[in-house]
Amino acid sequence: MGERARQALPSVLSVLLALVLCWIAIAMTRDVDTATRAYLQMFWGGVGNWPAFLDGGPVSALTRPLGEAAMKAALLTLTGLSVAVAFKVGLFNIGAQGQMILGALAAAVVGAQLNVPAVLHIPAALAAAALAGGTWSGIAAALRIRRGVHEVISTIMLNWVAVSLVDNWLVIGPLKAVAQGQQSSITGTAEILSSAQLPRLLGDLSRLNLGFPLALAAAVGVDLWLKRLRVGFETRAVGLGPEAARTAGVPVAWRTGQAMVLAGAMAGLAGAVLVLGTEGRYPGTLGAPYGFDGIAIALIGNNNPLGLTVAALVFGVLRAGGTRMQLLGVHKSFPELIQGLALLFVAGRLIWLAVLRRRTRPSVAPAAPVVEVPRA
Amino acid sequence: MSLDIREGELLAVVGENGAGKSSLMNVLYGLYQPDAGEVVLDGQPVRLKSPRDAIARGIGMVHQHFMLVPTLSVAENVVLGREPTRRGVFDVERACEEVAATCQRFGFQLEPRARVDTLTVGSQQKVEIVKALHRGAQVLILDEPTAVLTPQEADELARVMRGLVAQGRTVVLISHKLDEVLGVSSRVAVMRRGRLVTEVRAQDTTAAALSSLMVGDSHPAAAQVSTQAHAPGAVVLDAKDLKAVGDNGRPALRGVSLTVHAGEIVGIAGVDGNGQRELAEVLTGLRALESGEGTLLGGGLGRLTPAEARRRGVGHVPEDRLRRAVVKDMTVEENVALGRHAQPPFAKGPWVDFAGRRERANALLRDYDVRPPDPELPLRALSGGNQQKVVVARELDANPKLLVVVQPTRGLDIGAVAQVHARLREARARGAGVLMVSLDLEEVLALSDRVYVFFEGRVTGTFTRDAFDERELGRRMTGAEAAHG
Repeated sequence: MGERARQALPSVLSVLLALVLCWIAIAMTRDVDTATRAYLQMFWGGVGNWPAFLDGGPVSALTRPLGEAAMKAALLTLTGLSVAVAFKVGLFNIGAQGQMILGALAAAVVGAQLNVPAVLHIPAALAAAALAGGTWSGIAAALRIRRGVHEVISTIMLNWVAVSLVDNWLVIGPLKAVAQGQQSSITGTAEILSSAQLPRLLGDLSRLNLGFPLALAAAVGVDLWLKRLRVGFETRAVGLGPEAARTAGVPVAWRTGQAMVLAGAMAGLAGAVLVLGTEGRYPGTLGAPYGFDGIAIALIGNNNPLGLTVAALVFGVLRAGGTRMQLLGVHKSFPELIQGLALLFVAGRLIWLAVLRRRTRPSVAPAAPVVEVPRA
Repeated sequence: MSLDIREGELLAVVGENGAGKSSLMNVLYGLYQPDAGEVVLDGQPVRLKSPRDAIARGIGMVHQHFMLVPTLSVAENVVLGREPTRRGVFDVERACEEVAATCQRFGFQLEPRARVDTLTVGSQQKVEIVKALHRGAQVLILDEPTAVLTPQEADELARVMRGLVAQGRTVVLISHKLDEVLGVSSRVAVMRRGRLVTEVRAQDTTAAALSSLMVGDSHPAAAQVSTQAHAPGAVVLDAKDLKAVGDNGRPALRGVSLTVHAGEIVGIAGVDGNGQRELAEVLTGLRALESGEGTLLGGGLGRLTPAEARRRGVGHVPEDRLRRAVVKDMTVEENVALGRHAQPPFAKGPWVDFAGRRERANALLRDYDVRPPDPELPLRALSGGNQQKVVVARELDANPKLLVVVQPTRGLDIGAVAQVHARLREARARGAGVLMVSLDLEEVLALSDRVYVFFEGRVTGTFTRDAFDERELGRRMTGAEAAHG
């Protein structure tokens, strides 16, 4: 546990530092009082308005904000997992956004077109989304393995292909919802059937739905896969020492491909949770770039499935509450600014570690090689 | 600890792995900061905060692992970081001239325009030395310089070192090879567990005396050569006319035929880069065979994969430990499982068997005297010798029928070398066929029942134990067979 806490410390400090800096930014452009009240609004808007509730307010004062936070956290968890899983085999998946777009579209199409009971409909839609996302990342994986195309390049390009294909053609063309009656100005694809909607866990009290436990289960599943399963061990070995893994008889290309497809499937599921849980259709565009947020979440969470889930929960709260900052005339993008700054500080994690190491020098293992460049 | 280095001397620092030799030198080179104490240079206390400081003050270091850019030329590597420029543009011509001048001044024969990755290891090392000299090094620290050299190259290096001293430079040599140390140095400092045990003049001591000073009382003396009779069993490897291409696209194996029987150690002698590495890679499924045929433990060699080689019972101690043998950011126990992670006691069905793995790792760490014996440590926290013990333990624990070992004791201290050698003999006694590639001729002669000499991808000589002839072997290693027809 001590080790785990030590690894999490830089991330925690980074987030706190980002919070402080943003508070100072608001305080300087407005005043201290506004900054403090804005932060309180953001906080209560994310974890539930406890003051109002304790004053005799309705339960929904708690459940609504919490539900919003949980739904944002679910999306961030899944895209974060997407990035982290690829990282485990040493690949940088910048393409979670594109994979999510494909997943969202697949969920929307299956959700609207297939007419089966909910017990089948929801799994079918989820599976279609995972498959679509996995196929999209699978293209990048195949290019990497067979042709040596760098995944950063291919996934970025596939993002654009996804936007062009889906947002700029399918959704406004072949898959555009047919206007019915008075609703003549809807955008996006046809509405999904009620049998494909992710059930709401608290009924009308909040928008919290099955997507949240699904994301948590995915995080736990990925964690188990990496730590407990033989193939997970092989996958980690591929990421940490590809030549050693090959020498040990691990099918390196196969494990790399698997991890990359799984990464795409996670992003695809994020798309499904968005469509089946909250949007109800593939909207004109996907809106917030959750796929790119996944990069930040994965890094702040140390690429650890459980760590990034915690990071996703924190930023889910901040994001959900961020909209309430607007009541005070503070722009709602501040949570994103906090996330960006936290990422920046985590990226400087080596500096954090160096500072911490200096403090605890006696416990450091002796004579670890500082510089070691193997010959080619 | 305190140590004086005098101007114009050739000081050797010897000691076991983990004795603190490298740490000491890293302090002198500015890579580590001393917690206490100071470095005094020419009567002035100095603070060396980085290698840059050290270089500026005339201290140069040649690391055990070379720090060269393989795709750049000799001259480019030498001037890297202080390139001559003409109108702000890198002036290749001047770089080559300057480097050629430095080479000539110190008597090195190097082609400034040659790409570093086309050079032999011995030449690459010279590039490192020239690099340090070119930056004005007055004191040159060499960390384990002969670990990878052939006898001839090592002699050459000794000449180079003497030449440098004759020109008034100071050389500090870190080494395990006591005979060499005695042959070349004027003074020897012995370190043990972070302390200076003694300093002696080279002419006043012997290798045996140094060896016991180095290890204290904790190890038995270096193991004696096996005298067990050579009684080979069934053929485990029978290869005919193997051909394969090297990483650089040129033929590395040009028709190699050899056999290995159960219960014998077959040594492959040769200068580095004559196809030995590629042979080991072919036999372990890491390199595709171009042509030729062979049987390896009841199967062909044509489509061998690393996994298939392991299934047939091939164990492998690769040359490049940190790249091939271990994953340094995984724990010791995870590394013990690597390669066998799909079988009991390391796995239960699709799951990792944590209890079984821990138990086996603990047993092996104890058995092979790995220090510290902590299976949860990341592997990189172990010293090189202890890492190698982990690799040897893992490979032998699998009970291989053919064990392919490459440079098994490179850079290890006496105690670890003796242990690795003993384990290889043990494997032989148990009936394994052992194919050992080593650039250390002494090691090949000490262990092998039979020796194949490699030169330019061909076998240029075969010797059996009763007919070893070091001079003849050395001549075959440099291709003398062709000259004799």
